[in-house]
Amino acid sequence: MKNPFALSAEETGEKAKKIRRNIIEMNSNAGAGHTGADLSETDILASLYFNLLRYNINNPQDPGRDRFILSKGHGVGGYYCTLAEAGFIQKSLLSEYLGSSAKLPGHPVRQKTPGIEFNTGALGHGFPAAVGMALAAKKTDASYRTWVLLGDGELEEGSNWEAAMSAAHFRLDNLTVIIDRNTLQLADRTETIMALEPLPDKFRSFGFHVIETNGNSPELFLKAAAGAMKTVGRPSVIIAKTIKGKGVSFIEDQAAWHHKIPVGDEITSAIRELE
Amino acid sequence: MEELRDCFVEELSRIKENDDRLYVLVSDSTSTCRIKPFMEKYPDSVINTGIAEQNMIGIAAGMSLGGTIPFTANAAPFLLGRSNEQVKTDVCYSNTNVKLAGLNPGFAYGSLGPTHHCIDDISTALAFGNIQIFAPCDPEETRQITRYAASYEGPVYIRLDSFKADNIHKASYRFTPGEAVVIREGRDISLITLGTIVHEAIRAAVALEEEGVCAEIISLPSIRPLNPEGIIKSLQKTGAALTLEEHSTHGGIGALTSEIILDNRLDCSLKRGGVPAGYFAEAAPREVLKKMYGLDSDGIISSVKEILSKMK
Repeated sequence: MKNPFALSAEETGEKAKKIRRNIIEMNSNAGAGHTGADLSETDILASLYFNLLRYNINNPQDPGRDRFILSKGHGVGGYYCTLAEAGFIQKSLLSEYLGSSAKLPGHPVRQKTPGIEFNTGALGHGFPAAVGMALAAKKTDASYRTWVLLGDGELEEGSNWEAAMSAAHFRLDNLTVIIDRNTLQLADRTETIMALEPLPDKFRSFGFHVIETNGNSPELFLKAAAGAMKTVGRPSVIIAKTIKGKGVSFIEDQAAWHHKIPVGDEITSAIRELE
Repeated sequence: MEELRDCFVEELSRIKENDDRLYVLVSDSTSTCRIKPFMEKYPDSVINTGIAEQNMIGIAAGMSLGGTIPFTANAAPFLLGRSNEQVKTDVCYSNTNVKLAGLNPGFAYGSLGPTHHCIDDISTALAFGNIQIFAPCDPEETRQITRYAASYEGPVYIRLDSFKADNIHKASYRFTPGEAVVIREGRDISLITLGTIVHEAIRAAVALEEEGVCAEIISLPSIRPLNPEGIIKSLQKTGAALTLEEHSTHGGIGALTSEIILDNRLDCSLKRGGVPAGYFAEAAPREVLKKMYGLDSDGIISSVKEILSKMK
């Protein structure tokens, strides 16, 4: 199985821009959403869905597909817009985000949205489940890879470190953990709330192959992912340095935009910046 | 007499023979679940996640989404208590095909105290959506419930007691999800119980018979789903009920019975036996605790007499 798009880094970047415009429009239309988180992760999601993940768009449940879990479930807006761009869901459905039809709720639900593998929203759940997926592949000689995207603030949940210990113990080289390292969580900077650094050393000491990269550059992120996929005998973590709210100057790098949405003139300004 | 956990493990081996998808996850709980015979046969199919129950449940959910059928087996107090949100979200809400065996529930750990007691699991599991809840009372039922859990597509919780028991059920018995099982017919009072307390209820009913009291015993191996008709029929006949469980009287089968009485406007007296709501069980040997909370046969006899005398 292959990635159905196999876009270049440059083309992936263009897709990311399109997804960002859809995020702004969708969140503004819904009147709610986690805009900062959605824009932070966009280049990572675009890289995954338009280059890295192997899946069959006509059969999202194909047992041989690569698995992806969005552990930072509040970033579901970026996820829906990516899934719509990839063709898992109709783009027209985005107008129902957070709406009364309950078809596109505020956190991922696998029973509702094709392409979603696991229900998240409560933090610290995606990593252990990804370990389980990767372990099942090892046990059954399946060749799919498992990817999981975590928010950096999410690493404060202890369950992640239980999962990290087990991923290395089970030598899950078919697992790649991605950290959306935008350094902001709901209330403030991660380093102010509960310091994560030295984060690479922490993962190294847990037995991970650690790759640090720019998570807002598809080119650099794809290179990092290639390094992760080549690693043998241990899991990889890509610490993807990102800017929360990336792409819209007045949203970038501000804790206040965690779950704020653009209104009025802000919408047109944001879209203009993303053209 | 057979230990119920051994029956569970034996059945897992039988299932594994025909279905390679089955895996057992333990959280350093290899001795708790007496998994050794299975492990000797299928060493690569037992996954020890270490003392990390939350991770164990998350891994189980992920494994099921990788096409396997994971059974987790660990001490009940560290299952729904420790991994509450993992069971809720990763198993129930995500509708993953995970089977959870909670071992030594109630106050089976006796003197080890409330950290090791599990008197809130039925209440917790009933409050979750999308999970079936079973509690076998004897070796035969343990085997059948294990088999059913493996064949059912979706989340299952098995409240599995550490207990050596003779069979109450004959080999011809067929476990049916949802069915309230009449263990013994009677006319004066309905003893509604589950798991190993069924054996105490039988002892009590035999003794009461000699005093002219004819107690009906209803066992609830299937707490969810539960078709209330069997209970309704019994309560309409006897007009009196005593529920018996190693569980808080809040949220267990006592509460379930009171809901059935209210929902169906039944004219029925009810006493709920168990650990009084709002209290921990004492840190004392299990047999002492059974006596303390009226769950041994003597306690059951006293409660029955008390209920019947009040009704006169």
